[in-house]
Amino acid sequence: MSHWMQLITTFAGARVRDRCFLAVLLPAVLLVPATAPAQHHHGTASPPERRAPASPATQRPSPTGKAVVTKGGLATPPAFVNFSRTAGTVEVRLVAAPASLTLRPGTSTDVYAYNGSSPGPTLEVKEGDRVIVHFRNDLPVETTVHWHGLHIPFDQDGSPFHPVAPGGEHTYEFTLRPGSAGTYWYHPHPHHRTGYQVGMGLYGAIIVRAPDDPLPATLQERVLLLSDNRFAADGALDFPDPGTHAGRVDAENGREGDVIFVSGSVLPTLGIRSGEVQRWRVINASAARVYRLALEGHTLLHVGTDGGLFEHPVEVDEIVLGNGERAEFLVRGTAKPGTSAKFQTLPYNRYIPQTRPGDWDKARDLLTLQYASAAPVQPIALPSRLRAIPALDTSAVTARRVMALSQHLINGLSMDMGRVDVSAKLGATEIWEVENLVGMDHPFHLHGFQFQLLDRNGVPEKQRKWKDTVNVPKHQTARFIVRFDNYPGKWMFHCHILDHEDAGMMGVLEVK
Amino acid sequence: MRSWSDALRNLTQFLPVVALAACMAPATTVTTGDPAQATQSGMNQVLRGRQLVIQHGCGDCHGGATNPAAQGDGPFPGNSQWLAGRPTDTLPVGGLVAFPRNLTADEETGIGRYSERQIFNALRYGLRPRATPDVEITSDVPGQGNHPAAPNYLSPAMPWLEFRHSSDEDLRAIAAYLKRAVRPFSKRIPDSGAPPDFWASEVSVAKVGSHISPAFPTSHEELHAPARRDQILHGRRLVIEYGCSGCHGGGDPGREGWLAGLRGQPPTVLAPYVIEFPIGPFKTRPRNLTPDNTTGMGRFSERQVFNALRFGLRPGETPDVEITSQIPGQGNHPANPKYLAPPMPWPAWRNMPDADLWAIATYLKHGLKPVVNRVEDSEGPPDFWASTYTAENFGPYPPPPFPTANERVP
Repeated sequence: MSHWMQLITTFAGARVRDRCFLAVLLPAVLLVPATAPAQHHHGTASPPERRAPASPATQRPSPTGKAVVTKGGLATPPAFVNFSRTAGTVEVRLVAAPASLTLRPGTSTDVYAYNGSSPGPTLEVKEGDRVIVHFRNDLPVETTVHWHGLHIPFDQDGSPFHPVAPGGEHTYEFTLRPGSAGTYWYHPHPHHRTGYQVGMGLYGAIIVRAPDDPLPATLQERVLLLSDNRFAADGALDFPDPGTHAGRVDAENGREGDVIFVSGSVLPTLGIRSGEVQRWRVINASAARVYRLALEGHTLLHVGTDGGLFEHPVEVDEIVLGNGERAEFLVRGTAKPGTSAKFQTLPYNRYIPQTRPGDWDKARDLLTLQYASAAPVQPIALPSRLRAIPALDTSAVTARRVMALSQHLINGLSMDMGRVDVSAKLGATEIWEVENLVGMDHPFHLHGFQFQLLDRNGVPEKQRKWKDTVNVPKHQTARFIVRFDNYPGKWMFHCHILDHEDAGMMGVLEVK
Repeated sequence: MRSWSDALRNLTQFLPVVALAACMAPATTVTTGDPAQATQSGMNQVLRGRQLVIQHGCGDCHGGATNPAAQGDGPFPGNSQWLAGRPTDTLPVGGLVAFPRNLTADEETGIGRYSERQIFNALRYGLRPRATPDVEITSDVPGQGNHPAAPNYLSPAMPWLEFRHSSDEDLRAIAAYLKRAVRPFSKRIPDSGAPPDFWASEVSVAKVGSHISPAFPTSHEELHAPARRDQILHGRRLVIEYGCSGCHGGGDPGREGWLAGLRGQPPTVLAPYVIEFPIGPFKTRPRNLTPDNTTGMGRFSERQVFNALRFGLRPGETPDVEITSQIPGQGNHPANPKYLAPPMPWPAWRNMPDADLWAIATYLKHGLKPVVNRVEDSEGPPDFWASTYTAENFGPYPPPPFPTANERVP
């Protein structure tokens, strides 16, 4: 604890930064770890400068585009091109299409890609921005783009209610509300096929920035999209048939892969200097793997989760990140120059006994943090308070609902697109009690609305935080309070183990 | 597959052993009816007896599973001769070994030489026919009401401690069916081992009570609306007769832990596996059947409980819908069904009438006080026993009509 306490001082004077400047700068910052060799940037990437809208034809990515792999470092997806001339508007094009990418050195794999890349480009926006995404589906199957965690109108949510047919287009348009700064992600959400399409490579990060971010702007920032996949001998992605042994195991556990990707790279090496503090944003984009994150010999200063920053930082040894969840934390270079440390996912027993993998109790390396040989840098001051999160009013609660989770079911029922499971009034405040009745973890995700976790198994949460996904471990209960503000519509709630969601572990909340 | 065959053998071995642990009630002396009347019963009585033999799963140990047409000498009860005993199926009881006997009417190797009253006395009082006079018995207490002063009891795992709670009519019907309607089949079964007192010290009234259960409600029971009292009492009677508590805990409705699931109590000679059942390489742990919301059955509907008893489908993994087919993928039966782990005897209990199964579900949901007791999940194969629960292993549903080749019209 001590070294963090030394660092956490009252950080006076929140900075208002030039967002336009940052939008240009940040991709470059992400590309250049302190000790990494020079980056080579290929494909459709281009600096996010303002330019005239291009025709769809000229924006079409090459179907054989390749993910950018930098030796040793993180692969970085091509950036979005913002072609809006209007300040405060981000207008980009997004195409989902089959592609052949080199996911692992020496083999090419047929995937689905966003703008020719997997993961897709990172959408960087700021609070208040109007976001316009011209999406085209060049896949042979219908799809959607779900903006996981964003509080946006129902018809822009990319839920199974709004599929985009093969060859079809849809323009997603929404405005990012104040206070929404945080780390989010986007992925397909077609009924019954989410797991397959995400597994085929469709996922990307979203960063929403605040005008008054309390953390120092000088911190190097890294976006780590965690994903895993499984490959057949010929390099193709391995999706077993449902009736097979592997298919049954996947149906229970969700499909886990033996190759873990960090933003598209396998076991990358990231640089840091002794004394340096970095800001890491980690997204669990895996269909089923739950990550128990830890950095050898280091503690982490946990500063944020799904809906943005906490009220204050918490020093932790590890962070459990369920499917769809995000974590923001600070890594401080407390080790000596020239040393290295593994960033790992520790064993996590989320499984039922019937299908628990034999190697579940093995830690897995995610990346190597390599210290530069240069002399340590001076520590910088970090704020002890991040922001104030107003508590939702429990006295305004008009309904308390139980969501009983069992294998592939919510409240004993399987998903029916024609059924409304929960009806609520626009503006209503409710408490949802998510009870996991079975011996396997189920990460519960609510679309459209961020909620505040109240307690787990009756033990109050230590601080308020905005969440859109809460992992409910086996046989445990989590309670949250939520207010259905602003946007009527039919909102999905579901288990974010994608195989479970696809099997029907989902329901519909109608807000009207 | 080999290991699962072994698992099944374990299943059929251990189930009755634990069932024997149930039923501990205050001593009461009662009078039963006249067993001689059973011999005068007609066809209806025999058919009733057949139904009871099937749904109690007598054939799970004695051969044939729930299939009166079963023949052969295979490793599963489902492919061995109907009720002719299973000399290969040794039941370890403490340091002793028990063999399921030949229940056919064969004079020499079966029960042909015993009267229906002796069979009734075996089911009601646990008294071995060959060592007990053919007289009417009117007391659970040795030395009283014709109960022998030095009784010679059936060996565990015979679950007579559960069956004894059945009505006189039902027990006589079972005796009538065995004696009159099962064809004699000659098959010699070795004697079961027993301690010098023939288990008398283990099944004393002080330990196991009498065959009269405590009145409803005990301190572990209560009547919740909207259930009706008659439904509750009907379900309760079945829960007691079918020995649910033999695995799920408590012994009788008056005892701590009634149906509250695995509690880690130390095993006894009569119930050596109450902690968990080794089923091949897996372990089965009896669940908490009380209506606690998170650790018991509280969040499951009566229909899900019914579906568990009729179709063997785990409530936590099966949608709360009406199921109309035994065949996976048809009539709402899940395409990839997840079945209750052995030794839960649902293949026998599915043969009970709808009204009985609904009554059991009603009692579990509305007749018990919730008890918080988290039971760790049972283990099993990834297909949740789907490839094990076959008609070949457990008999067809519904059973073949009477009479099969193994049966005769009285």
